Order: sequence, then structure tokens, then C-alpha cells
Amino acid sequence: MNNEIPVQTLGGQGEVMAHAVDACVHCGFCLPACPTYALLGDEMDSPRGRIVLMKEVLEGGLPLADAAPHLDRCLGCQACVTACPSGVPYGELITAFRGWSEPQRQRSAFDRSKRWAILKALPAPKLFSVAARVGQFAKPLAPVLPAALRGPLDLLPETVPAMQPSPKVTPARGVQRGRVAFLVGCAQQALAPNFNAATLRVLARNGIEVVIPDGQGCCGAAALHTGARDEALKLVRANLDAFHPDDFDAILSNAAGCGAGLKEYPMVLHGEPDEARAKAFAAKVMDISEYLNTLLQHGELEPPVPASRPLTVAYHDACHLAHAQGVRAAPRALLRAIPGVTVLEVPEGDLCCGSAGTYNLEQPELAGQLGARKAKNILSTTPDLIASGNIGCHTQIQSHVRRQGSPTPVLHTIEILDRAYRGEL
Amino acid sequence: MSTEKLALTTNSGARKPASAGGASTALAADLTRALGPRKVLSNLSERLNYRYDAIQFGATPLAVVLPESTEDVVAAVRAARAAGVPIVGRGAASGLSGGAAPLEPGLVISFTRMTRLSIHPERREATAQAGVVTLAVTEAAKPHGLIYPPDPASFRTSTIGGNLAENAGGPMCFKYGVSGDYVRALEFVDVDGELHRLTRDVFDLAGLLIGSEGTLGLITEATLRLIPPPKFTRTLMAHFPEVGACAEAVSRAIAAGAVPSKLEFMDRACTNAVEDYLHLGLPRDAEAVLLVDTDGEDLDTVQDELRLVEEACVASGGTVRRAATDEEGALLWRARRSVSPALGRIRPQRMNEDIVVPRSALPDVVREIRALGDASPFPVVQFGHIGDGNLHPNILFDPRREDAHAVHDLAHRIALVAIRHGGVLSGEHGIGSMKRDFMRDAVDPETLAALRGVKRALDSSGALNPGKILPAEEVMVDG
Repeated sequence: MNNEIPVQTLGGQGEVMAHAVDACVHCGFCLPACPTYALLGDEMDSPRGRIVLMKEVLEGGLPLADAAPHLDRCLGCQACVTACPSGVPYGELITAFRGWSEPQRQRSAFDRSKRWAILKALPAPKLFSVAARVGQFAKPLAPVLPAALRGPLDLLPETVPAMQPSPKVTPARGVQRGRVAFLVGCAQQALAPNFNAATLRVLARNGIEVVIPDGQGCCGAAALHTGARDEALKLVRANLDAFHPDDFDAILSNAAGCGAGLKEYPMVLHGEPDEARAKAFAAKVMDISEYLNTLLQHGELEPPVPASRPLTVAYHDACHLAHAQGVRAAPRALLRAIPGVTVLEVPEGDLCCGSAGTYNLEQPELAGQLGARKAKNILSTTPDLIASGNIGCHTQIQSHVRRQGSPTPVLHTIEILDRAYRGEL
Repeated sequence: MSTEKLALTTNSGARKPASAGGASTALAADLTRALGPRKVLSNLSERLNYRYDAIQFGATPLAVVLPESTEDVVAAVRAARAAGVPIVGRGAASGLSGGAAPLEPGLVISFTRMTRLSIHPERREATAQAGVVTLAVTEAAKPHGLIYPPDPASFRTSTIGGNLAENAGGPMCFKYGVSGDYVRALEFVDVDGELHRLTRDVFDLAGLLIGSEGTLGLITEATLRLIPPPKFTRTLMAHFPEVGACAEAVSRAIAAGAVPSKLEFMDRACTNAVEDYLHLGLPRDAEAVLLVDTDGEDLDTVQDELRLVEEACVASGGTVRRAATDEEGALLWRARRSVSPALGRIRPQRMNEDIVVPRSALPDVVREIRALGDASPFPVVQFGHIGDGNLHPNILFDPRREDAHAVHDLAHRIALVAIRHGGVLSGEHGIGSMKRDFMRDAVDPETLAALRGVKRALDSSGALNPGKILPAEEVMVDG
């Protein structure tokens, strides 16, 4: 799409945005992939429409406030990126645009404080854990609270588990085959500490030493995708200082959103002095399932103990794994490597579950509709277990599956593998 | 230079909105009174997104209506007529001739919320509102053992209403025909807001509406014929060291008696653009790739036909690979369907032709177009439903660096190649505004006058999708 975006005044992020707009041929192949288009059926809430809106705002032909409601409804799921034959990097466009536009937004005091609280609590696991406990206490009050506060409360699990700090170094068991650095993640430490515990056990069992470098923090994705670019840059640079890619075979994440965030660092720092460092860092980043799958493909994965009975697992593709990172085959291959496990495909599998970072808090109504649709689709396969590789999806799917009256366990892919290794499947 | 040529670029003079002016506000207020606020879009941010299709940007509409029923369409048309503004119908806007891009500010009626669909297996029919997505018809029919064959490349996105307005084809059209061949009955709203229901007997008025690109009426619902799917399908891919050889293979195969269900061709640039997207291992060095399906009730016949095609390809110097599995076949077809948008990887914009020529002329036509492309500064690529003689030469260009006049001239020369070989300007994408100027070359003045007569009979005020298909009448200027 031809554009007159004033790149010279916008810098590196301007180049990222102009390149994405250029690449769009407005063919409409993205429309059926877009969750908000599926719900709302209008052009402004489609990827093609949003690209036009961003272009118009950047060119000065449309006030930001007019475009904002439609851009805010974008989940950032990037299903459109998978669907796009022209190769439009839509994820980079919307992320860069949010970073550029946020300082110009006029938000209410309530909105500002809500966003401030989210961005403070998310990267601070201890604070998040405290907040979650307070929230749990407040759950019975939910019906009388305003919708903006009800959303997050609805998502909290029935019990908030105790924090389980991870050791700085987890030695390999048996012969050491590799050495990796691990990003521990933020919210999931508070909400699902077993994700990390299982990850460390599975890696150790496969002869991999795991190091959790000091000084690491939040990946910055939540800040970046909500437009808090300065905040995000601080977090990104802290991680570039903490992780030394040359020291490790890989830098692993077990949360799809965080992994995608880490892989975005070169885009975030495009045209800045740290760009080369970011590229070296991102080249080593892998999702836990990608890493273990390379072991599997080389015949080096420790064979899991067969399940005690035939089990069906409905695998949910997290958007930030399937669309943002292009990781689809690896988690399925790992689950299939467990004798007795059958992997089920979910109808409308490419449609976002509605969690999408802070979307549940900012667009509770659309998030709820998508969550209910996802739960219904998953349950239509009548699985024994539900697997996903992302804490956001996990929380959302668990909440909606329970709401639809199903007790089916929702687990991280690695938890299932861990259970198999321990003979508990 | 005419406005439609300017409109080739997204930054044309027609582009900038007239802002939320008085006319817009008054029309939007009328529409909102008639339809309620949910169905009427009047903010600039909303209207800006209804000025384009998959090839062209036009004028920003004064208002947009998202009807949910035929009654809503009637009300919207009456309000637009009362306001004296033009009306443009729009499906998913995946069209490739500028058909859904308004050339002047007016009302856009977008059918994406009219999605009621019912299957009547006992009559082998589907009843679909205009906004039903094409693929949805086959998906709904499948449990009843039926399919809807027309399958334009955009079938996941495009709507039935849009398909009928453009009389869309698709890979299946060689054996199974185009969208219009599956219409038993139509419901449409005329320019005065009157509702009509048509079948195909007596005057085939439905046939007139099909392919009229929204210039004669607004199709709101259609009764579509369904068929049982073929029991067996086999796929092969052949590649050739020269484009003309590929066309020769097609003529040879059909002359030998094969009736493939799909026969599709893409040249080297197309194959490479798709390969960049899907990474299938397509032959990047081949000058032309041919994709062929044969299908039918009897496996032996299906295999025999595939063999005939294979022999024809080899005799023309091609290399043949049969798809080992249905999945491999499906992937190859996904590759073909992605060609058009994947060309965006080469240049941001393109002029898209849709010529149809007699099959016997195919080798000469593809070679002549290849030569025109090679002699021009622009990348010219070719692909299409070659079994029908339907080719899509595309001129790829960057409007910021390259001259839109030169693009238009080259497109004109390509159109003349088709006409010289006894061909026509449009197989399935319509004339729209993109090929309107070439109509004088393709259609004699008497026939053009007859077409104008039809337009006047059904839309005397010229309010329906103005500026499309028919070139402006010559104005006699005194000495």
C-alpha cells in the first residue's frame, strides 16, 4: 500500500511501520483469520482496516483518537501474519504504532492508574502474587464491582499457589548434553509455579544444565504491546545485560508471550546502538518445546514413560507460539512422543482464546466472547487433558472451561511431559 | 489523464476525504433514523475503510450501511436516492478490478453481516444471503454429501454477492463452470429500492445481473445449485523451461481428450513469490509451472486422464511430478491460491489483467506477453486458469518510483494482444474501473450502445456503481 509516512521524523520505528504498510496489498486474505472481524464483521476491526487506519494517522490524515477504538480492539494475536501471502509484518506494525502513539493518548485518570498498576505488578512476581491474593479475597465482591475490575477477578484461579523460587543453577542429570539460560517469566511464577519446576526437571532429566541468570526481569512484551515503550526499553536492556548468548546453547522461555517478546528485541531496537546485541540475543532464543523437539528429532530425548491408560490431549495453539513464533509442530511432536497419548486438533484452532496479554483487562467483553468460543471448541473434542504453552491462554481457557462446567485439567505441555517422566500420567 | 488512472495509486487526488461535511451528516442522519445506529457508519475512521478493494483505492464514502436484511438494503437505497448520492455495493472487497472501490463520494452498502445460509439437500440447493463467505457454502453442504464448485482464489474471504457481481471463476471452472452457472434464482434490490425475485426463465434477467458489477442492481440473496463431489481426485505438477511450452502442453492434453477439473499455470516470478511464503520446495528455476487435477466417479478414468496430461506435458518438454498424497495435492493448490497476494512481495502495487483467449492461441499469447514484459521496465508476471484460456498478466510497480502512465500503456498493449487473438478483457474479475478504458477496443460501438441501453433501462439515473464497466460516451466538440 502506497504511503506518505514521514519516516525521517519517526526514526527506526518509523521505518518498521512504513515497511509493513508498504507490504500490504489490501487483498483481504487476513479477514477470515481475524478474531475481531469474526465477532464484529466490519472493516475497521480487521487487520487490513487497521493497517489503513494506522497509515492515515501516521500520515496526519486522521486524528489518533478516531482510530484508537479500533486499534485497541486488536488482540495482537498475529493470526493475520500467518494468513498473509504478501508477508506483511503486522505484529511489528501494531507494536511499533502503539509505542509511538501512547504518549499522545488522552486517557482517563482511572484508565491511567489501571494501566500503571498492571505494568507495575506484571513484571514483579512478588507484587503480582500479593495482588493476586488480594484479588482472591475480593472475588466475592465481583458482582458489585465495575466491569473493568470484574474482568481480572474472574480470571483468578480458585487458589493462588505459594511462590516457588527457582534455583540459580539446575545441574544436568547424568551426562551433560547442553547448557541453557532460562527466563523465569513474571505472572506465571505467581499463578502457575509448577510450569517452571516441571521445565527444570524435564531439562535436567535430558542432561541439560539450566542457568537462571541474575538481573533478568520481565521480557517487556506487556509494556511494549500496551505502548509503554520507555518502560519496555528499560526491561529489554536489562535482559540484554543479564543474558550472555555466547555462554549458552540457547535462551529458553516456557511462556509463548515472553518467548515472542524476546524474539522481538531486534525490531524494538531497530536503528539503535543496541541493535546488534539484540540480534545476537534473539538468535539464541527458543521456546522450550522447540528446544526439546530438536533433541527428539536427533533421537536424543529421554523416552517418556508410557501413560498408564490411553489419553487424548487437546492441544491449544497459543497465538504467540503458532503465529508470532511459527511453532506448531514441536509441542505436538513432544506430546506424541509419550506412548499412549493422542493429540486432538481443536476446531477453529487458529482463533485467539481472547487472553492476549492485558486484553482481558482492557476489552473484557470481546475477550469473554472469544474465551467462551475457545472453551466450547476445545470441549467439543471431549479430551482427557488440555495442553497449551502459554500462561495467558492457560488462565483464560481454564476459567472458561470451568465456567462451562467441565473439570478437564488444563496443563502446560511441559507439565504433561514431566508427569510422564515421573510415571504420573 | 483520467481520474481512474490516477486512482491506480493510493495517493490519488480522489483519496482525501471531504471530511465529515454537511452531505455526509444529513445522509447519515437519515440512514440512522431508518436503520438505527448499529448499522450505519458515519465517522471518518469508519468511512475511510470502505473506499478500497484488493486492487484500488477510491473516494471516501459519505456513509456506509451494514445491512442485516433485505429490508435494510431497501431502506438504505431509498435514503441514498432521496439524498441523490450514488450507491456502491461491497462484499469482502477482495475484488481485483476496482469494482467495489467508489469513484465518487456516496453510499457504500457492505453486505458482510447478511450471512444467512440454508442447505436444501432434497433439492440440491443452497439459499445464501449476499454476505455469505464462498467457502461456507461448501462447508455447510458437505455433511449432506454436496459441494458448491465455484472456488475463486479468495474463497475463504470473498462473498457470494461479490462472486455473482463479478461472475467469479476459480480453478474448478474449466470442468465445472463459473459462479453464474450455479445460480437458479436471485433476489435483488433495484435503483429505486424495489425488491425483485428472479429465476432463469423467460428473459434471463438474473443472467444480466450476474457479472454486472453492481451497476444494474444489488444482489441480496441467491439460490445456488449444489452437486455431489467427485469420488476420486488426482493431482500432478509439471514444470517447463519456457512459458509457451506450458501453454502447448495444455492444448495438447485437451486435444488428446482429457477434461481436467483444474488446470492452472504460474510463471517463474509467481512460483518464487509463493515459495517465499509457503516454502513448499516448488521448482524455482522453472519458467512455468502447471498444476492439474483430474477427477470423477471412476478411478481408472481419472488415472487415464491424468496419464494423458502427463504425456502431453512430457511431449512439450515438461517435467512431471504426481502428488503422492491428498495432503500434498492440497498444499499445491494452496500455493496456487496464494499467487495473487504473494506478488506484493515483489512490488507494492500491480495492474491486474484478466484476459481470456482461445486455447489454440495460448502459446503465442503467453510468449507475446512475456516479450512485452521483457521489453518494459516493469516486472510482468503471468498466471491463470489456463484450461479456459483465462490468463492474469500482472504488471508490478512501485507508484512512488515508477510512472503510472507507463503502467497503463503497457496494460493497454497487453489487452490488445488478447483482442488481436480473438480474446476478451475479462474472464472473472470484471472490468471495473481498471479496464474500462479498454472497452472501446474490445467492443464495437453498436454493441457498446446496446450495453448502454441496458444500463439506462435498469438504472436511468446512473446511480449504481458509477464509473464502472462502460467508458464515458464520446462528447462531440464543435470545431
